[in-house]
Amino acid sequence: MRIVIAEDDLLLREGLALLLKAEGLDVVSTVANAADFLAAVDEHVPDAAIVDVRMPPTHTDEGIVAAVEARRRQPGLAVLVLSAYVEQAFATDLFTTGSARLGYLLKERVGRVEEFLDALRRVAAGGTAIDPEVVAQMMVRTRPDQRLERLSARERDVLALMAEGLGNGAIAERLVVTDGAVHKHIRSIFAKLDLAPADRADRRVTAVLRYLKDVDRKG
Amino acid sequence: MTYGPDVIVARLRAALDAFEHLAGGLGTALLALAALAWLLGTAALCLVGVGVLLLPTALRLVRAVADRERARLSRWGREIVSPEPLPARPRAALADPAVRRELGWLVVHATLGFLLGATALTIPITALHDISLPLWWQLVSPEPAVVAQQFYAATDWPGAFVACLIGLAELTIGVLLMPAMARLQAWVGIRLLSPDRGTDLAMRVAQLTATRAAALDAHAVELRRIERSLHDGTQNRLVAVNVLIGAARRALARDPADSKEFLDRAQDAAEQALAELRGVVRSILPPVLADRSLPDALSGLAAACPVSCHLDAEMPDRCAVSVEATAYFVVAEALTNIARHSGADNAAVRLHRREDRLCLEIRDDGVGGASSTSGSGLTGIRQRVEAHDGLFALTSPVGGPTTLTVSLPCGL
Repeated sequence: MRIVIAEDDLLLREGLALLLKAEGLDVVSTVANAADFLAAVDEHVPDAAIVDVRMPPTHTDEGIVAAVEARRRQPGLAVLVLSAYVEQAFATDLFTTGSARLGYLLKERVGRVEEFLDALRRVAAGGTAIDPEVVAQMMVRTRPDQRLERLSARERDVLALMAEGLGNGAIAERLVVTDGAVHKHIRSIFAKLDLAPADRADRRVTAVLRYLKDVDRKG
Repeated sequence: MTYGPDVIVARLRAALDAFEHLAGGLGTALLALAALAWLLGTAALCLVGVGVLLLPTALRLVRAVADRERARLSRWGREIVSPEPLPARPRAALADPAVRRELGWLVVHATLGFLLGATALTIPITALHDISLPLWWQLVSPEPAVVAQQFYAATDWPGAFVACLIGLAELTIGVLLMPAMARLQAWVGIRLLSPDRGTDLAMRVAQLTATRAAALDAHAVELRRIERSLHDGTQNRLVAVNVLIGAARRALARDPADSKEFLDRAQDAAEQALAELRGVVRSILPPVLADRSLPDALSGLAAACPVSCHLDAEMPDRCAVSVEATAYFVVAEALTNIARHSGADNAAVRLHRREDRLCLEIRDDGVGGASSTSGSGLTGIRQRVEAHDGLFALTSPVGGPTTLTVSLPCGL
């Protein structure tokens, strides 16, 4: 997998590159700002990009803007955005164009290398990775919704993991249940929320995210 | 009543001060005289109609002269705030009580103020002339040497010594009278150029509202700065530590030898995080201020400055903590600026207390051309000083030298 890293902090940039190289991934370019990032994407045509949200010159949302622009130029590009803190607005901006090949994670997740690499591979393979913190905020911020309240506790767990972008196998592993059980929970969730059943993970994530956002907006 | 040497020295010093003020007052009185002449000329032209067009200019001139006097009097005593800007239309301007009071002041200062200033200037000259008469009266003899402004003519030795005594008397009277003269000269301006009570309070409230907003702004800017340095510094370092430890664990499972590099880097990152955290904490409220005095804290800054820096700090009493922290911040920023941009070889910091104000002067012999509006460290200094209701002045001609003066109310 060919990867471009955009991160303005030198130490973190080098650390990430070192980590990925040690895992046998191909880091083709590391850059420190949004303009260089877009240039590197044009030049190297990577499979995936890891982008920091706050970069020079304004240190606000350069990374989000650059990620959206890079995907416009190169639709197949997988982008994993790293952020120091959860900001719902960033996630919303990022996921307006769909959730396939997109990830939004807190920077501290990188320390759990297995999970981070798993998220990176998932995004590169066309899936989604959303930070549990973001999902938790969505579930909490969502105003009381009768349909959501119809879910059992276990179904809510499954819904959260689905929103993070995990596939059936990974969900089963996390919750220590069988694939079959997960399958049953998901069918039940879709039925209770009146969503059309979707099998592919990214479509599922989109549906779930849209549902959570809609509930939030309608209040 | 006896006069000890202390009393005499004090009187002399008061007279010298008063002389300085009277001379300064004479300067503005000359300007007032010129403005008055201009105004009268304009008034005469008004009779034939043309003057109406020139009236706004004349009023602006009067305002400029009055503002100069306000600034002069503010340096001397209580600050005198300028009134609202002049109304655009001459009729409205002439109806404005502040303008009318200014015109009254102009007439009195151009006459009485001028007279007082001129008298004050002639007293020492006449006294010197008369006192020294015994030394030179013979040179002008047989012409009688005239003393005491024509009142007495000395033609012989006893006469010359009488003249000398007259000179001494003049000097004594001058010394005793001059403070009163200076007060009288200033009193007119203080009475007529200060906004009247109601307006004064209203303007004071407006000014306080503005400075309070500035204080909140400065506070927000300060919080933003702290947030930025914690986020971009410490937090990023800790994220890096976390990533590197994660990588080291993976490497440990693969090949323990590989993990050494990750661990080394992780430790570097942790050390940097600590150093940056220390810097941020220090910048919020330097611990040295709490443990020691402001002069001690400043001497630490001066010693750490890469440009050779002379410190002259005299501060027997403590000020409010926030004022001392601001003074510390001002010096720290100014010295950083000097080291970065000025190219100076020498810098000097002077700290002293004048009545209830803390005064700072920071000079350097660098290239000059500094500005407090171009978003440099000086902007931050100005904002923080103004937030404390302080005064900020910067003179920095291209080619140098640069002088920054700041004064802050002590708050205690």
